[in-house]
Amino acid sequence: MTSDLLVIGGGVVGLIAARELARAGARVTLVDAAQNAGSTTNAGSLHVQMQSRFIRLYPEHARNAERALPCYRQAAECWDRLEAGLGPIHLVRKGGLMLAESAGQMAFLEEKSRREEAKGLDVALLDRAELDRVAPWIGSQIVGAELCRDEGSLNPLLANRLLTKACADLGVISIIDRIDELTVTSDHVSARGLHGRYRAGEAVVAAAWGSGALVRAFGVDIPTAPEPLHMNITEACEQRIDHLVQHAERSLTLKQFGTGQIVIGGGWPADDHGTDAVPGVRADSLVGNVALAARLAPAIGTLRILRTWAGMNTTADGSSIIGRLPGAERIIMAVPGDAGYTLAPLVAQMAACIVLDRDPPADPAPFSPARFAA
Amino acid sequence: MTEITFTFNGTGIAASGGESLAAALTAAGRREFRVTAGGKPRGMFCGIGVCQDCLVTVDGTPNRRACMTGAVDGMAVETQPAFPGLCLDAEVPDIPRARILTPDVLVIGGGAGGLSATIAARRAGAEVVTLDERTVPGGQYYKQSADGSLLDAQQAEGAALLADARACGAEVIGGVEIWGAFDGPLILAESGGSALIVRPRAVIVATGAYERPIIAPGWTLPGVMTTGAAQTLWRSYRTLPGRRIVVCGSGPLNLQVALELAEGGAEIALVAEAAPSPFLHPLRGARCSIHGPALAWKGLAMLCGLRWRRVPVRNGLRLAAVEQSAGGLSATFRRMDGGTCTVRADAVCMNAGFEPQNEILRLLGVRMTYDPAVGHLRCDRSETLETSVSGIFAVGDCAGLGGAPAACAEGRIAGCAAAERSGHAEGRDVAADRRALRRHRRFQNALWQLHDVSPTPLDSLPGDTILCRCEEVTVADALAGYAVTPGHLGTLKRATRIGMGHCQGRYCGPAAARLIAEHTGEALTDRSFFAPRVPVKPVTINAILSFEEALRGDE
Repeated sequence: MTSDLLVIGGGVVGLIAARELARAGARVTLVDAAQNAGSTTNAGSLHVQMQSRFIRLYPEHARNAERALPCYRQAAECWDRLEAGLGPIHLVRKGGLMLAESAGQMAFLEEKSRREEAKGLDVALLDRAELDRVAPWIGSQIVGAELCRDEGSLNPLLANRLLTKACADLGVISIIDRIDELTVTSDHVSARGLHGRYRAGEAVVAAAWGSGALVRAFGVDIPTAPEPLHMNITEACEQRIDHLVQHAERSLTLKQFGTGQIVIGGGWPADDHGTDAVPGVRADSLVGNVALAARLAPAIGTLRILRTWAGMNTTADGSSIIGRLPGAERIIMAVPGDAGYTLAPLVAQMAACIVLDRDPPADPAPFSPARFAA
Repeated sequence: MTEITFTFNGTGIAASGGESLAAALTAAGRREFRVTAGGKPRGMFCGIGVCQDCLVTVDGTPNRRACMTGAVDGMAVETQPAFPGLCLDAEVPDIPRARILTPDVLVIGGGAGGLSATIAARRAGAEVVTLDERTVPGGQYYKQSADGSLLDAQQAEGAALLADARACGAEVIGGVEIWGAFDGPLILAESGGSALIVRPRAVIVATGAYERPIIAPGWTLPGVMTTGAAQTLWRSYRTLPGRRIVVCGSGPLNLQVALELAEGGAEIALVAEAAPSPFLHPLRGARCSIHGPALAWKGLAMLCGLRWRRVPVRNGLRLAAVEQSAGGLSATFRRMDGGTCTVRADAVCMNAGFEPQNEILRLLGVRMTYDPAVGHLRCDRSETLETSVSGIFAVGDCAGLGGAPAACAEGRIAGCAAAERSGHAEGRDVAADRRALRRHRRFQNALWQLHDVSPTPLDSLPGDTILCRCEEVTVADALAGYAVTPGHLGTLKRATRIGMGHCQGRYCGPAAARLIAEHTGEALTDRSFFAPRVPVKPVTINAILSFEEALRGDE
């Protein structure tokens, strides 16, 4: 099959990239393995402030993440524009709260908020009294919080469905296949799948944790790795929790969808069962994650957990990977560095601009895959 | 039996101690228990804790199943709104200590198969713990009465089995909700808000089945319930689901329950069986009586009993729709010649076969094969009824429909084998059980030839028919969602929210899996159904807190 452009990966990045390219008039083929994708299991947090989990687990990546902070803010704004174009995706940007349970945690948030403010983020520190006004559901041990007004959440089920439909309406051809090899000649890219071969002028690789393996043959060693993370969702209750909630020291995200359901996650580990099986949920993660939420928000204690699953995050070096592949310029990488759902529209639009030779919304130089070339 | 009073939306309701809220409310003529997000009333549907449509708010705590919650004197019960309020000044409750059990054999389910397995494993010398969801174990076949009285031989047989299981030294615990099953095996359960953590050497899963509904317009109306729900009301609580009742679908349970309700004083307006008359297929009937003369006789006696009571039993009738009318419900049926007839009733009972409760087996990674004859997954098992996962046994209907007598034989075989696996080789000879099992299976094969549990193709239903009860997804929504993301149940779920609600996809999931198979032409397999997920049943956040200390892992 031949087309102008090939997009590998039908997650949120691939969908947005395919939509951008098709809107510019290109004939686009989107190939997705339909298995263990990140965005089809993502819970739709829009992260802007630095996640304490990230700083703790990947201290070596923290500098990259801090440098990229303005991108997170810009990406959240991209979602505003996407919703305007796509239709309702339950996008809420009432801000994110990072809760502190001790003076030490509060001091950490003070230092963090200073650094974030310097990067242009809209942040503030709230004491208990201020917190009671905006989040009356918190536990009595909470002393304060950092509020980042740029944060929020959306319903990824709605967004993915609208994006899929938009791509179909624009004539994007969607194929379910797993690409296992890319080859580049002087005038085209060829992708070998389990069911067929796909030829195009250029290819966008938006395959999250599978991206590194696809381009390793070109001498570029991108260390993308799957990170299965535990997620929980409750049954519906009255709308009370406006913010994306995190903890200053421990792994937690908590938010309420437009459906009234509360989603609890934040990076507790799940078991990777390989490419062809869904990741397995761990009892200790489930119990630890939900118990932490119950202590921070005792008001949700009488709700029931309806379902748990593992989402797939992708880790590399803390920074996004966007741009033409050195030595194989017909391949364009589009891999968010962390918080893939948040960064997706910015990463996808930057990659699409590179393909279309337009001015990208941000300078792609710091994100070039050249940093991984041998 | 103590007489008690509780309130429903402020009005006093009389009940007996031990009675479920659903039974007491039904007896008082109250059928609407909760309101959906779409503003529609819902009531009791399955009666066995599966569908979650009977949720009520009890003393300010939302999401309590009326069918599984016992009425207590002074309780304040309220209609459950779609979005219950949060108690903002709530504190973290006192956390009861988790109980950790490490028996040789854990039996999950205290029905015909589970109790038989319990007795066999314990008598072989194994230390056995048996957990059951209901306060009074016995399962759906033996349905025990809440007050201990015995209605008939079937209930007496169950009571004797339960007494044996307790007397033989096994620990039989009722009122336990199992919500987690992990490799190990590690089983997590909740009992009255306390944690139960079980790390057994062998597990016998005997979780039975739930009823396959007839998905048709109006199947979500209060007063429409499964035949088993009506049977639970009558057998466990001596409450009739209504004065005038219609029973429909296919299979012997419908005949049995129609007769029981008629004997209990209800007017059975119609028993509608989808299959043509058995007298048109004398060979099939003859096969039944060869393989199971006693059971075939029982079936014939039920038909005679119904005829004697002038209950109209009509073959070749399929439910087309239920509508709410001024005086109750009106059920419309389609005849095989295309004509229709309409019957008015207070309650419409439906059973169109069974779906195995195989969630725990699937979570533990047990291999399954689709059986087109019954339209659901069967568990692959060895001769000792061990599954593809070492140390995990499956008995009874959870492994694929087989009926209670087969479940008993399977329980005895697996009980001995599981005890042997944990070092107790004193098991009895199971040769007779194996012979009995073969006979029961031949009978079941012949029996289902007389009935027709083939589901109505979803494409032939009106587009506004509710497919997913919980999320109120219609057939048209599902078909539109399928058009956007074809080929896979998981993507259909994410595109339409089908299966994302309280019942965790138990009613719409099998129907949607069939829809996709019809469209893709691919054979159904284990992967055609929703991926198994914990919790097996919804579990409260506060209950999960009590597992924290015992299961602390890395963050």
